[in-house]
Amino acid sequence: MNTPNITRRHFFNDCAVGTGKIALASLLAESAYGAAKSPNAAASSHFEPKAKAVIHMFMAGAPSQLELFDHKPMLTKYEGKPLPPSVIGGQRYAFIRPDAAVLGPRFKFAKHGQCGAELSEVLPNLATVVDDIAIVKSCRTTQFNHAPAQIFINTGFSQPGRPSMGSWVTYGLGAESRDLPSFVVMSTGSGISGGAACWSSGFLPSVYSGTRFRNSGDPILNVSTPAGIEAGTQKDTIDLINSLNHRRLKLDGDGETATRIANYEMAYRLQTSAPELMDLTKEDKATLELYGCDPKVPSFARACLLARRMVERGVRFINIYNEGWDAHSNVEGNVRNNCKNTDQASAALIKDLKQRGLLDSTLVVWGGEFGRTPMVEASVSLGRSMGRDHHPQAFTMWMAGGGIKGGVTMGATDEMGFNIIEDEVHVADIHATILHQLGMDHERLSFRAAGLDFKLTGVEPCKVIKQILA
Amino acid sequence: MMMKLPFFLFLLAVSANAVDFNRDVRPVLAQQCFTCHGMDDHGRKGKLRLDLSDSAYGKGKSGEIAIVPGKPDASEVIKRILSTDEDEVMPPPHTKKVMSEKDKATLKAWIAEGAKYEAHWAYSPPKATDAKASIDHFIRQHLDKEGLKPSPEADAYTLVRRVYLDLIGLPPTPAEADAFVQSQSGQSNQAYEKLVDFLLASKQYGERWARRWLDLARYADTNGFEKDRPRQIWPYRDWVVKALNDDMPFDQFSIKQLAGDMLPNATAEDIIATGFHRNTMLNEEGGIDPNEYRFYAMVDRVGVTGTAWMGLTMNCCQCHTHKYDPILHTDYYSVMALLNNADEPTYHIPTPEIKAQQKAHAERIAKLEADLPKKFPGGEAAMQSRFAGWIEDQSKRASQWQVIRPTAMKTTMPHLEQQPDGFILGSGDISKSDVYDLSFKAPIKGVTAIKIEVASHPSLPNDGPGLTNYEGPLGGFFLSELKAAQNGQPVKIANAEATNEEEEDKVNDAAPAAAKSKKAARKAAVKKTNNAMATLDAEMSSGWQVLGGYGQSHAAVFHFEKPIDLTNGFDLKMLFEKHFACPLGHFRLSVTTSDHAEATGHPLEVENALATNDQSKREAMLRRFLETAPEMKQAAAPLLAARRQMPRGQPTLAMKERPSSNPRATNRYHRGEYLQPKETVPPAVPAFLPSLPKNAPANRLTFAKWLFAPENPLTARVTVNRQWQAFFGRGLVKSLEDFGYQSEPPSHPELLDWLAVEFVKQGWSLKKLHKQIVMSATYKQASQRTDRSDQTDLENVLLARGARFRLDAEIIRDSALKAAGVLSPKMGGPGVYPPQPASVTSEGTYGKFEWKTSEGEDRYRRSLYTFIKRTAPFAMATTFDAPTGEACLAKRDVSNSPLQALTLLNDQMFMEAAQAMAKVVIAESPDDDSRLTNTFRRCLTRPPAADELIMLQTFLQKQRNQKLDGEALWAAVCRAILNLDEAITHP
Repeated sequence: MNTPNITRRHFFNDCAVGTGKIALASLLAESAYGAAKSPNAAASSHFEPKAKAVIHMFMAGAPSQLELFDHKPMLTKYEGKPLPPSVIGGQRYAFIRPDAAVLGPRFKFAKHGQCGAELSEVLPNLATVVDDIAIVKSCRTTQFNHAPAQIFINTGFSQPGRPSMGSWVTYGLGAESRDLPSFVVMSTGSGISGGAACWSSGFLPSVYSGTRFRNSGDPILNVSTPAGIEAGTQKDTIDLINSLNHRRLKLDGDGETATRIANYEMAYRLQTSAPELMDLTKEDKATLELYGCDPKVPSFARACLLARRMVERGVRFINIYNEGWDAHSNVEGNVRNNCKNTDQASAALIKDLKQRGLLDSTLVVWGGEFGRTPMVEASVSLGRSMGRDHHPQAFTMWMAGGGIKGGVTMGATDEMGFNIIEDEVHVADIHATILHQLGMDHERLSFRAAGLDFKLTGVEPCKVIKQILA
Repeated sequence: MMMKLPFFLFLLAVSANAVDFNRDVRPVLAQQCFTCHGMDDHGRKGKLRLDLSDSAYGKGKSGEIAIVPGKPDASEVIKRILSTDEDEVMPPPHTKKVMSEKDKATLKAWIAEGAKYEAHWAYSPPKATDAKASIDHFIRQHLDKEGLKPSPEADAYTLVRRVYLDLIGLPPTPAEADAFVQSQSGQSNQAYEKLVDFLLASKQYGERWARRWLDLARYADTNGFEKDRPRQIWPYRDWVVKALNDDMPFDQFSIKQLAGDMLPNATAEDIIATGFHRNTMLNEEGGIDPNEYRFYAMVDRVGVTGTAWMGLTMNCCQCHTHKYDPILHTDYYSVMALLNNADEPTYHIPTPEIKAQQKAHAERIAKLEADLPKKFPGGEAAMQSRFAGWIEDQSKRASQWQVIRPTAMKTTMPHLEQQPDGFILGSGDISKSDVYDLSFKAPIKGVTAIKIEVASHPSLPNDGPGLTNYEGPLGGFFLSELKAAQNGQPVKIANAEATNEEEEDKVNDAAPAAAKSKKAARKAAVKKTNNAMATLDAEMSSGWQVLGGYGQSHAAVFHFEKPIDLTNGFDLKMLFEKHFACPLGHFRLSVTTSDHAEATGHPLEVENALATNDQSKREAMLRRFLETAPEMKQAAAPLLAARRQMPRGQPTLAMKERPSSNPRATNRYHRGEYLQPKETVPPAVPAFLPSLPKNAPANRLTFAKWLFAPENPLTARVTVNRQWQAFFGRGLVKSLEDFGYQSEPPSHPELLDWLAVEFVKQGWSLKKLHKQIVMSATYKQASQRTDRSDQTDLENVLLARGARFRLDAEIIRDSALKAAGVLSPKMGGPGVYPPQPASVTSEGTYGKFEWKTSEGEDRYRRSLYTFIKRTAPFAMATTFDAPTGEACLAKRDVSNSPLQALTLLNDQMFMEAAQAMAKVVIAESPDDDSRLTNTFRRCLTRPPAADELIMLQTFLQKQRNQKLDGEALWAAVCRAILNLDEAITHP
């Protein structure tokens, strides 16, 4: 037989991976022609990785750090008074004027765990795993509007068009799973401002795009056989397609045809593996209760449980979006409500991963796109009161697992929670850290497009956040 | 088998010299030396330039000669890079640049070989060395050199399928294919040429080629970013289709898109064409800085212009001087300055029909006005009696108003101009907090009140009267505060009222919060905030607003606590502040000395006539009476409604060059950051390219024409290369968007130049270029891989065989629809909504966009017409690598994924196609074999081979055994064939 050449065009021509290694996205799956020799097998990283998978719980809309992690009693003391202009500097705001009065924290804080990390009363569950997580109170971004800020956190750039974290990671590391996409995106709220740009592959080959797992209809678009087509017919159809494609392959010798044959096989497997993944009937009652998950109802809790199942099945990068944190009015109610929906499941995910021995190899990241102002937002014309506006200068994120040191709190803001005064962590530092835990050097993971060598972390110097590494 | 790299590629690049200046030396100099010794005057050290031979061969400031050709040891450059002295070594330690040993060796070798500087191939105009040449001539020449033979011509079925797909983006029907196959006798090329001409003349040609252009134009039907609201710019898309069908010369095609509004006697079509650079995104998220996003749009425009016409990675220079190519940081902003002097209006297309409708509308209004008296209950006598009473009554209430004109107008951003009628008209850029400072001086004493009249104006967004052009109520304004002063002392305004106080507070806010809190916000008792008094409360979030729209006319009256004297001057400060920009666009100021001023709502002329008992204005008074009299409420309603509506024509987004009274300055932005504007830069093109003509203003139009100047080295090459890529899957220059120093050199430089020269010679005709390509033997080759070409030329750079690659998303879908016999031929119009799973737009997208699936023929239109929502694009298109319209795309990725398999297998649209095809096939063909053949040919053009037919028969039988029959059975067959590799591949 005229052995077809199954090289992937762009891997030989476009993939200027710094290390010269060749990775293939999971979605290409192993080739029909010898899995062992396929460039798709999980590729080697730059150095020994701590984490194999990432779960990014993205709190879209931007949670108030002042109601959750960054306790500022001084705000209560000065409530109703404006901040001095020297503190505010030239910062622009979306809705409020810089001279708006400050608003005290709406909740009580207490110390938890052996580490004694301070958490707000609306995070009772997170409090139980606080010794497993590292809290970074000194995160900073450059963007103060939702869409650009969300796109920035996800892609390292504030405008659409760059590859997202999950795309870079799957591009760099390849896939672990033969039966599922390696970069998965779930939405559990009202809408993602940044849209599909947040999980786009940008200028990387499009196979590195995130695959949406949906709450209604098919979890993966078109993963179900259409009504009226029996399982046998579906199987026969794929067999026929692949037989005819094999014949074509022999004639034309086009490697793309070989890949296509492999993809029909993978598609067929997906038709089984996706429903199997989504089927929570095998989860015991204790687990469902741990998460607070009703298997039938799409929710943040269900997404967290699914994320654990995905990690077990070799999915590399998982985005769980939880939208609705944009508390321009009634920040108290907003945070209380959102915590009701997310606190238990976030903590459950840590516990569950830990009890299954998966936490060490799974990096869990929690955070929004920016913080919220120490100043109050109120507007008679918009009917808003007791809210907080967007605050790019300081916000809080936490990470756990995957080589992150538990029980750490790092970074600090000033007594009004406006500016960072200790250990500033920029978005690019977070990216560098995530890549580092996956065994990749952010300086070496690059791709040439439109005349430039692009990196997830951009051109500004940035650093791995060593303080939180185990 | 080992996979071999295409080693000859390395050979291609190696020139006679061991060291090639552009390939080997320039990158080293660029990275290590040019920061201080390059083209950038800024920061040059030692007066030395290493990018120019004259400077490099001459004496530097130190007196040493940097480069002595042939003598590396005598060259200061080499001494310095080898030096171990911290004060001597280059690059200096503080730059943190470290030159590798390899780079040092390269420089040494280059100098030893004579230190020859070479021009970059792309930066000198293309020359055709052999006028009698042809595509095949150049391709064969190269193949001969590599010892390769071209492939034979593809069989007739393959050829007809290929040329249909390439030229019109659709496969032939079996009948169309047969017509060609049968007419093709022997070696005759006539039938083929006839077919090519037929396809080039087909309307579907423009639809196929428009899609490729729209990738560059980043066309979409929504604004992008969070809100991602729909926009109407499809007339631009239709303009592209028509221009391509008309074979508009590519220079005209381009000039109109870049600067059609500036052409002498610009037609509506010319203005629609400027939509090209209106395809930038618009962020309408709550509280953005509109000028920041306008800056990003300009950044996008510069980058796209560089990509689409110049093959320059201009985008690299937003933040700094180009690392490799001779483009300065300043050049980038100079090109921006060329493009940056336009306003961005919504253009209502004035078709003859619209003009006729407008005329009819005006006539209708005139008639309604004339008929009004006849409709008075009780007739003429009753009317006169009531009118007299009205005059008497209103005269007492009326005050005489005197229009005052500012002696000085200062604003934070918008541009204000006084009109002959005393109105002030605003234009230009706006910000979230705009202030108007107006000064007056008039010999009027005892002024008790001042009135602000606002009225619509056709130059304003949504007709005004405000300048709000995003996020908020379009054309509205919001006056937060009004402050009066004399000689720097505040003048107290006691109270105020407006004519629209009874209106609802229709604040069209972007409520960025989640649904839940939105509801809560609505529930919160909203204080009535829209009133003139609210402009006096020192609270910025309350004020007086008028929503936008045609025929708006309102006024607010502000009463001074004590009468004032304007003789020695009077200052008015108007503050417009909200989370979106909201300044006023069309307004007039007047004052009165009356002791009973009020916002009567009467037009100024009528109120003054009433106040002065001016009988000459009786007619105007009568009209006002009839329009406002309670007993005329019903009768006047049609007139009042008609005044608020005007047939405006289909809107589209366009460019409009600014008037010379209000040019927009462009700055350089340090590190490309919006918050770091530096010096103003003049409009200009990069110095390494031919200059703009001296006798023309340096503006957008001159720039657009300059792209097509005979001495411009880039445009023709970039354009022919992109066309070539469409037919062969790979450009002669691989990087369609980058012809710079770092790009891979052309595989066939002579062919590229020859095509470029021919293209210009043929009047920039794309159709002629396309014909030239498809008529070549190179194009017509079979695409089967031969052992030899496969192993030496994986990528098929040398074209020893035809090109085989997966088809574009749109062609895949359209081919299925045509094969099924359901493809609608309808052209143009608003985007349509073919079936796709609801969750694509309902989940995770902001505002839960509902995809209302189109019915009837709109369900099966060509994919070009599918509505493109940027943040949640049509799923099938995304799966097959179509762009989202968020960024310019010169070349699509060609991916191959299981999600594509799932789409073709299970997507509703493809199921419907299979079902529709089944019906047709059953009706058309009598028996199994003819049905199988018919299906096969509808999808793949060629008849099935015997073994293929057997496979299909086996499948058919197996399904019958499983009790499948009729349409369901045949739909299963159609579905399988639609999924074949061959069905979605350029053959």
